[in-house]
Amino acid sequence: MRKPNPDMSALPATATEKSVNRRSFLRTSAVLTTGLAALAASLKPLMEMEDFPTAERFLQKYYKEMTPDDMAKVLKRISTEVEQQYGLRPHVRDYKPMDGVEFVYCLNLTRCIGCRKCVHACVAENNQSRTPEIQYIRVLKMPHGSLDIEKAEHNYDAEQVPEKGFFYMPVQCQQCKNPPCVKVCPVHATWQETDGITVIDYDWCIGCRYCEAACPYWARRFNFTKPAIPKERLNPEMSYLGNRPRRQGVMEKCHFCIQRTRQGKYPACLEVCPAGARKFGNVLDPNSEVSYILRTKRVFIQLKEEMGTSPRFFYYFDV
Amino acid sequence: MLTVTFAGLAAAFLTNPSALPRKQNISLVDTNFLDRATARRSYADLVAANEDLSDFDCYACHEKGKPPQLRFDTNQNLIVPKEHPDIVMHHGSHERNNNCYNCHNESNLELFQTKDKRELKLSDSVPLCGSCHGPTYRDWEAGVHGRTSGYWNRSLGAIDRKRCVNCHNPHSPKFPGRKPAPGPHPLRVTTPDVAHAETQP
Repeated sequence: MRKPNPDMSALPATATEKSVNRRSFLRTSAVLTTGLAALAASLKPLMEMEDFPTAERFLQKYYKEMTPDDMAKVLKRISTEVEQQYGLRPHVRDYKPMDGVEFVYCLNLTRCIGCRKCVHACVAENNQSRTPEIQYIRVLKMPHGSLDIEKAEHNYDAEQVPEKGFFYMPVQCQQCKNPPCVKVCPVHATWQETDGITVIDYDWCIGCRYCEAACPYWARRFNFTKPAIPKERLNPEMSYLGNRPRRQGVMEKCHFCIQRTRQGKYPACLEVCPAGARKFGNVLDPNSEVSYILRTKRVFIQLKEEMGTSPRFFYYFDV
Repeated sequence: MLTVTFAGLAAAFLTNPSALPRKQNISLVDTNFLDRATARRSYADLVAANEDLSDFDCYACHEKGKPPQLRFDTNQNLIVPKEHPDIVMHHGSHERNNNCYNCHNESNLELFQTKDKRELKLSDSVPLCGSCHGPTYRDWEAGVHGRTSGYWNRSLGAIDRKRCVNCHNPHSPKFPGRKPAPGPHPLRVTTPDVAHAETQP
């Protein structure tokens, strides 16, 4: 039976004589079953996927190439999706930048008391995920007489703020004139608008997080999981580039409350600030508050000025 | 053997008996922290809301035409009469403004008086504060000091500018501290308090 074959001595005799025998059958079926099981296991997340992209969303055009008709369809789709998910009919619009407007934010470090109300007003206004928590504003606590961000603390939990000997510095997207996050985006899902707001198209973002790494201000946030927003806290006033609910796997960040500011209103963080430390307006208007501040106040920093990002967010002092 | 293990694993993945139930408890911040109300309510607010103004009826107790006498202790600090228990005098970093009649009009308690002898109504207190705090008053007029809400674009809507006494207690104007809203949860870990360690002697 095991007569050696002079031509194919290296091969086992069985393989050459029989195409299927017990051993090879078992081996093949083992490999096959394992493979199928692995395939099934790897496809499992697909079965759990709740928002499988519809053909409509999949074929959606790039934001800057959309005609008003395309945009109307997209807004209708978003509205339906939100209604299905939250049982609430939102008011979704696509607000365009105004002519002759460049937004600038000024924050008075003398007045900020570090109460973090801006953080939570922002979360409420912009439909950020509550679990896991996504917040656009980070309030840094630093000792008086220094500006060492390495030594800043943002987890402070005092009985009462402001604490003696410390000042507070809220940091959010600085809406740079020369934004590093825009440069690194491989799919042009983030760009700077004419009014100075750097926006993200959540339908175009692929979630590579390059922008998060590029931002020197830690201003960008990533949706690692599906955002959880309670129905009763959803803000129905939404905008395409602003606060419409995000999906898992996309970036988001402060957009100066685009849905408010492009309608002429103040951002939510400004209105809630109990100390009046936040000022916002059109820097091209010489009568605006921000122009007055930049003209007359001791505007001492653009944060990390040496990075050459040229922020539109200024920190200043009274006196 | 391996086949059975993998098949078992595959079955486990598909049925997922140990899957954790999706977290439903969404942590929500106290709505107090979302409140846009000002730190205090001014006399003008009470008038506008048509509320009880009996606390401002000076001549229910005081006698007309007879200015109340001020009393000072040995350190020249004003003794606030016990009839005004809500008043804590702490105006000025060294309690320098400790005379009621620097602001109140002694001949008519229902009016204010500025240093340059202008008489102002109780609801019109901003120029009174401005008569001493010039630079702050100038900032306030430009919309730079104090709270604002409404519209940055005046052609689309009006700006709502809060007054001095919406935030500052006129008798003790330093803005009071408060409990901060909760910090970021995912990062709330016990880290060494570097900032504290630095400044402690």
